[in-house]
Amino acid sequence: MDRRKFIKEVLLWSAGLSLSVPRFIVPGSIHAAEGAKSTLSFTEGPDYESLVSRALSSLGGMKSFVNPGDTVVVKPNIGWDRTPEQGANTNPIVVRAVVQHVLDAGASKVLVFDRTCNEKRRCYTNSGIEKSLKKLNDKRVELDHIDRRKFVPVDIDRGKSLTRREIYLEALKADCYINVPIAKHHGLSKLTLGLKNSMGVIGGDRGEMHHDLGQKLADLATVVRPKLTIVDATRLLLRNGPQGGDIKDVKIRNALIASTDPVAADAYATTLFDMKPQEIESTVAAYKLGLGEMDIAKINILKS
Amino acid sequence: MKRRRLAPLRRLGQSLFLCLFLFLFIKTDYQGSDNLQYAVNLIFRIDPLVAAATMLAAKTFIILLFPALFTIVFTFLLGRFFCGWVCPMGTIIDMSHKLARPAPNTTDWKHQNLRYYILFFVLTGALFGLPLVGYVDPFSILVRALTLALYPAFNFSSESFFTFTYLNAPPWVNSVTEPLYAFMKNYILASDPRVYTLTLLSLSILLIVLLLETVERRFFCRNLCPLGAMFSLVARFSLLRTIGGENSRCGKCQNCRSTCRMAAIDHNKAVSMEKCIFCLDCIDACPKKQISFGFAFKLAPISMNISRRGFITTAISSAAIPLFLPGRAISKRPNPKLLRPPGALSEQDFLTRCVRCGECMKVCIGNGLHPLFLEAGLEGIFSPKLSPRLGYCEYNCTLCGQVCPTGAIQKLSPEIKKKERIGLATFDKNRCLPYAKAIPCIVCEEHCPIADKAIKFKEVELVNDNGQRLVMKQPYAIDELCIGCGICEYKCPLEGEAAVSISRPDNSRLQKDALSY
Repeated sequence: MDRRKFIKEVLLWSAGLSLSVPRFIVPGSIHAAEGAKSTLSFTEGPDYESLVSRALSSLGGMKSFVNPGDTVVVKPNIGWDRTPEQGANTNPIVVRAVVQHVLDAGASKVLVFDRTCNEKRRCYTNSGIEKSLKKLNDKRVELDHIDRRKFVPVDIDRGKSLTRREIYLEALKADCYINVPIAKHHGLSKLTLGLKNSMGVIGGDRGEMHHDLGQKLADLATVVRPKLTIVDATRLLLRNGPQGGDIKDVKIRNALIASTDPVAADAYATTLFDMKPQEIESTVAAYKLGLGEMDIAKINILKS
Repeated sequence: MKRRRLAPLRRLGQSLFLCLFLFLFIKTDYQGSDNLQYAVNLIFRIDPLVAAATMLAAKTFIILLFPALFTIVFTFLLGRFFCGWVCPMGTIIDMSHKLARPAPNTTDWKHQNLRYYILFFVLTGALFGLPLVGYVDPFSILVRALTLALYPAFNFSSESFFTFTYLNAPPWVNSVTEPLYAFMKNYILASDPRVYTLTLLSLSILLIVLLLETVERRFFCRNLCPLGAMFSLVARFSLLRTIGGENSRCGKCQNCRSTCRMAAIDHNKAVSMEKCIFCLDCIDACPKKQISFGFAFKLAPISMNISRRGFITTAISSAAIPLFLPGRAISKRPNPKLLRPPGALSEQDFLTRCVRCGECMKVCIGNGLHPLFLEAGLEGIFSPKLSPRLGYCEYNCTLCGQVCPTGAIQKLSPEIKKKERIGLATFDKNRCLPYAKAIPCIVCEEHCPIADKAIKFKEVELVNDNGQRLVMKQPYAIDELCIGCGICEYKCPLEGEAAVSISRPDNSRLQKDALSY
């Protein structure tokens, strides 16, 4: 090796070292224990705070997911500039109740965010979530907009269609990630549920996700792994999803699904639309990847 | 006894008004409610030049612009106080004076008639349908440069700096910089990075105004500014007067003359009210303290010297130029990509009323409004258009109509805005993925904000290039429902040109009835 080449190589490598974007390695995925039955709680009622309380207590309470001092991410759907009545974003009372339980469990910080589709401030305001969380008046709650600096490239080792993607750092490094999607209609994927809600933590151009969407969402679910999925089914947007806009398309259902198994939560939520879990490509793909149970008969359903 | 200097007082006043101006500029943005809480466009509404030109052009009274009367009354009382103390352009020119290699204060005024000619040309032009006020009005020049160039650059540099510290600086640095960044994001910076067309052109115009300082102090104000010319005409009647040493109370020194930034003091040390902007420098400079203020009810002399010939030539040319405009191809076939903001008047009325101030582009939360170059003809430069590939019109937002100071973009209620048609979506099936490549997409359908989607899809069974039989969802637009907000074109995941684009295939904007105020 001559001097010139050596210097060139050293410069090249050291520059690469100092300028490369920090990578985030997602620890090897935890497979669902063989034979362990997925548990899911299904609650109904017009009082949304009580829905959340009952759903959580049947799963052992928030304390079984959140340890004192934890940093917790609560990820609702705040994608659209729509009001709560229009059923396009997660209900603000549900979000607040979940955050309240996380606080009560002793979390040191609760981050709530979404990468919106419409203008971000309008979404946070008109979804009612900003106002709702302010009522908690707790400094540990941070409802911030996405900070573009915090997207990190992640290798998705188990991905079949999606092998690398920028993912929001806060979602990856939280001690506990709680997914709080709203169940609603979607033109391409038929329904948007828990797995699709993870679109809100990825960077880059999301339009390209639509090619082979079901598999890509399942691939994403191998690295974005909520400890708990709480599906808001208080209002079901039946048509013109995912953003709706017409109250006539919304059916009041007053229900909530909670599970540690993201696939089971989606599968059961599908039945509320009189559809079968098999019809949702992302559910099937995630099931095939071993991320959870999609057979309703094999899920331990606790109703209250 | 040593007398206190007065110029710092003026500088304080200038700084306060500049801060107010910048505050309103930053507040020209969504503030968490559908309606703006501040009169963010105040600077244009108190601008009598904008008011006069716009009302002459529209041939109607525009209530929005009545605050300009206040400025006129104010000038009757206090002369050109506005130019010396309030005008943000004047303040920035004064600030830049020390940066530019300063020209010595000239005591004569060579091109003093130019600004009067500009004023008359703009006003008669406005009357006959030649919209020019936006190119010479100081606030239009300033706000445009701020919106299109300076503010985006400020945002970019701030974000670059804080990204650098975030990624590379030690924690103790970040414990300072991160809270600072959070504060700036909340109160000063734009919510998202903005891009604009004509950035460098708008910046250059402001820079030229500032660089003229190397030729002569307050060059723009002395020779070019038609607003200042307007104030000059009114200031003749001003009650407040600066009384110089013209009554031979003072000696032979010329300190007042050489310090005057407006060359308002003549050989006999008489102060011209046409020119004096009450900067107070002469008072500080006078060794004998001969200069003072007083009130007078008589007409002050004016040095405006516009010949009858000059006046007639100005009037005729401004009346003649509009005769050439309808002969251009664009008046028969306007550019179909020329999408005006929702609530814009019919094309001709819009162009004559728009003062190119850039307020709508600043406030547009979808970053969809951009200044156009030549699509609407030479006289259309800097007027706004929706460029859906760069940004879109947010469905529930009505802010552009709220900030337009002249009503060129009308203030629409949310209900009417959601039905106001900007253009229509058309698909290019040769590029659209489900048509051209049998790849699922319909991102456009997902984002279409109309409750009964203006973009729907049909399920078509087809065979792709690999011989696979597929059911593909192929989007199509429904003209009756589409309002042309452009979110489909904006979000289309194709690289380069979108497969769905908004255009105005008809000439409806030419015929659209102008609603009057």
